[in-house]
Amino acid sequence: MSRRFLDLARPSRRHWLGYLLLLPAIALVALIIVYPLFVSLDLSFQKIGMATLNAPRKPFTLDNYRKLFSSPDFWNACWVTIKLVVVVSAACFAVGLGTALLVNNRFKGRTLARLFVALPWAVPEVIAVVIFAWIFDSSFGLMNWLFIKLGVTSQMINWFSEPTAAFWVVAITMIWKGYPFVSIMTLAGLQSIPEDFYNAAKVDGASALQRFWYITIPVLMPVLGVTLVLVMLWVFRDFSIIKVLTDGGPLKATQTLSIMTYDQAFGFFNMGYASAIGIVTLVLCVIASLLMLGRKSQAMY
Amino acid sequence: MKTIGKRIAASAVAAMLVGAALPTAASAEVLKFVSWQKDEKGVGDWWASVIKEWEAKHPGSTIEWTKVERSAYADTMTTLFAGGTPPDIVHLASFEFQAFANNGWLEDLGPWVEKAGLNLDGWSGQETCKFQDTTVCIMMLYYGTIFGYNEEILKQAGVAVPKTYAEFLAAAKATTKDLNGDGIVDQFGTGHETKGGGGQYIAEMASYLFDVGARFTNAEGEVTIDTPEMVEGLTRWKTIVKENLTPRDLSAGEVRKLFADGKIALKVDGPWIYSIMQQGAAKDKLKLASVPFDPPLGGSSNVLAMPSEISDEKKQLVWDFIAIATSDKFQTSFATLAASTPPSPRADLTEAKAQIPHFDLMVESQKAAAEHKIDRIPVGLEVQFNEFSKMIQEEAQRMIIEDLDPAAVAKTMQEKAAALQ
Repeated sequence: MSRRFLDLARPSRRHWLGYLLLLPAIALVALIIVYPLFVSLDLSFQKIGMATLNAPRKPFTLDNYRKLFSSPDFWNACWVTIKLVVVVSAACFAVGLGTALLVNNRFKGRTLARLFVALPWAVPEVIAVVIFAWIFDSSFGLMNWLFIKLGVTSQMINWFSEPTAAFWVVAITMIWKGYPFVSIMTLAGLQSIPEDFYNAAKVDGASALQRFWYITIPVLMPVLGVTLVLVMLWVFRDFSIIKVLTDGGPLKATQTLSIMTYDQAFGFFNMGYASAIGIVTLVLCVIASLLMLGRKSQAMY
Repeated sequence: MKTIGKRIAASAVAAMLVGAALPTAASAEVLKFVSWQKDEKGVGDWWASVIKEWEAKHPGSTIEWTKVERSAYADTMTTLFAGGTPPDIVHLASFEFQAFANNGWLEDLGPWVEKAGLNLDGWSGQETCKFQDTTVCIMMLYYGTIFGYNEEILKQAGVAVPKTYAEFLAAAKATTKDLNGDGIVDQFGTGHETKGGGGQYIAEMASYLFDVGARFTNAEGEVTIDTPEMVEGLTRWKTIVKENLTPRDLSAGEVRKLFADGKIALKVDGPWIYSIMQQGAAKDKLKLASVPFDPPLGGSSNVLAMPSEISDEKKQLVWDFIAIATSDKFQTSFATLAASTPPSPRADLTEAKAQIPHFDLMVESQKAAAEHKIDRIPVGLEVQFNEFSKMIQEEAQRMIIEDLDPAAVAKTMQEKAAALQ
C-alpha cells in the first residue's frame, strides 16, 4: 500500500516529484531570505538598539514607523533614491540600447567592440569605484585636470564636497557599471528578432526609424521590461558604490534608503529603526516592480 | 619474570602519564580574537607577542586571531554579538565600545581587576572605560599627537617651524602652491581627511577647537558648543578647508601618504605618522616637533574587553590574556614594538627612548593631553558618539559648502547635540 502511495511515476502524482525536487531550494530561500525578512519585520515593531537573536522580545510599538514618516532624512533619502533610479535607469537604457544596436550590426572589429561594451559589467564594483574615485579626485583627479586643460573651469571642482557634483559622480559611476547589463540583454533580444519582419517592412517602404520604432522596440519590449525592473532594483538596493565613493554625503546628497538603513543599523546601532527603513524600502521595491511588469505585458505584441 | 614486571610497571607509568595528560587535552581551549590591527606593522607584532606568551602559559590552548578591516569592523562585531557568537577576546575602538556595553554585552572587569590586583592609577585614558560606574574595558592606547613638517618646503617658503596656531596658519598659506603653473595646486600647507566617518572628521578638526579652549561638553556632560571659543575654533577649521590649505576629499591614509611623499608641508597626527614617514619618498626631509596647538590633541584609541555571555572558564582565560597585555613587561615592549606611548605609567621607556628619537615628544604630548582630559569622545555623549560625530561633520560641511556664519553653526550644533542626549 505504502509503495503504491510513494509511486511518483503514477500520472496523478507526477507533480509530487517536482515539489520534492524544489524542496531544497525552497528551504534554502526560506532560511536565507524569508526568515531574516520576518526577523526584520518583527524588529521594526520594537524599540531596539542592538538586536540579539535570543533576547526576549520588546513590547510592540509603531514608534519606528512614526519616527520614520516624520523624519526629513527619510523623505530626503526617498527623493535621492528616486532621483538616482530615474537618472541611472534612463541613462543605462539610452547607452545600453545604443551600444546594443551598434554592436548588432556587422562591421570589422565587432567582436572587440562587443567585448568593450560588456567590459564594465565584468569589473568588480569596488574596483570600478576606486577607479572613479581617482578620476573625480578633487585635488589630483583626472577630471579636474581635463576640465582645466580644456578651459571648462578655471578652478578645481570639489567633486565629493559639493552636493550636486557628488550626486553626479555617483550617478555616472552607476551608469558606467550598469549599462552593459542593458546592452547584453538587449543584444540577446535583438538577435531573436526574425529578419523577415525587417524585410517585409522594407518592401512596404518603412524607413530605418520606422523599422526601429514599429518593429524593434515592440518586439524587444518583454526583454526591456524585465531589464528595466532589474536595473531599477539594482539601483534601488546598491550600496557599495555610494558607501565607498561618498558614504551618503555631503549633506546627505547621496544618502539613499540602503545607505540610511546601514547607517542606522551599524553606525548608530538603531536596529529597530533600521528594520523599519528596510521594510519600507522592500514595499517600495515590490510596488515599483509590479508597476513595471504590468507595463511590460501591455506593451507586448 | 623481572622483565614482565618492568613492562607492567612501565605500562602503568605510561597509563598514568596518558591519564594525567588527558585532562589537559580536554581542557585545551581555542580563544577567538578579532582585530583590525593584525597586519599593522609594529602594533600587530606586539599583539603577536602577547598571543605567543599566552599560548606558552596555556600549553595546548591556542588563540585564533582573525583580521577584520576597520571599515567593516562595527558591522562584523555587531553581527557576531547579535548572533550570540562574540569573539572571546574583544578588541574595540574607544568610540564604539559604549554601544556594546550599553547592550549588556561586556563583562564588568572591576572584580577581575581587583582580584588580580591590577593597579590602574595613572593608566592613560582608563576613565573612558568607565561605563555607568563599571569598568567594561582596559584602555590599550591613549595617544598624544605629534607634529610632522617638511623642512625643505618650509625653508623654500622662508618660514620657521610654527609654534602657535597663527604661525601654523601663516606657514600653511605660504606653502600651499601651484608649483608648475598649470592652475592646479600640487603642494598643500597641511592635510586633513574631509570625507569619511564622523569620528575621524572630529579628530581632524579637534586641534583647532581645543587650542582656543572650545569643548563639546563640560565635565558634567552638559553640551557646551554654543560658546565664543567654539565659534573661533569653527572659524579656524573653515579657514583651513575653505582656503584649500588642505587637499579635499581624501581619506586619512591618503593624506598621510601625501605628507610622506613631500606634497604636504605640515601634518599633525598620532604616533603612527612616524612609521609612515619612514616609508615615504620625502623621508629625509621630514622632521618632528611639538604640536603648535595647546593642549595637543590626544585621544583614547582602542580597548580590550570581555564578553559577558561566555563561560567562566573562558573568562579566566581571557583575563589571563588581558593580564599579559597589561603587564609591565608587555607595556614596556609596546613602546618599542608599536613605537607608541603605552598607557601604563609603569612601563620602562628607556629602550624606546634610545631606539626612537622623537619618543619624548610623544610622551610629553600624551601627558599634556591626558592632564587636560582631552578626548574626541565628549563626556555625556559616549553612547551617541557615532550619531553625534556624524551631526558635527554634516554641520561643519554645511558651514563650508554654504559659507555659513560659524556662530550660527555653533548654535545649530548645540541644539542638535542637546537633542541627542
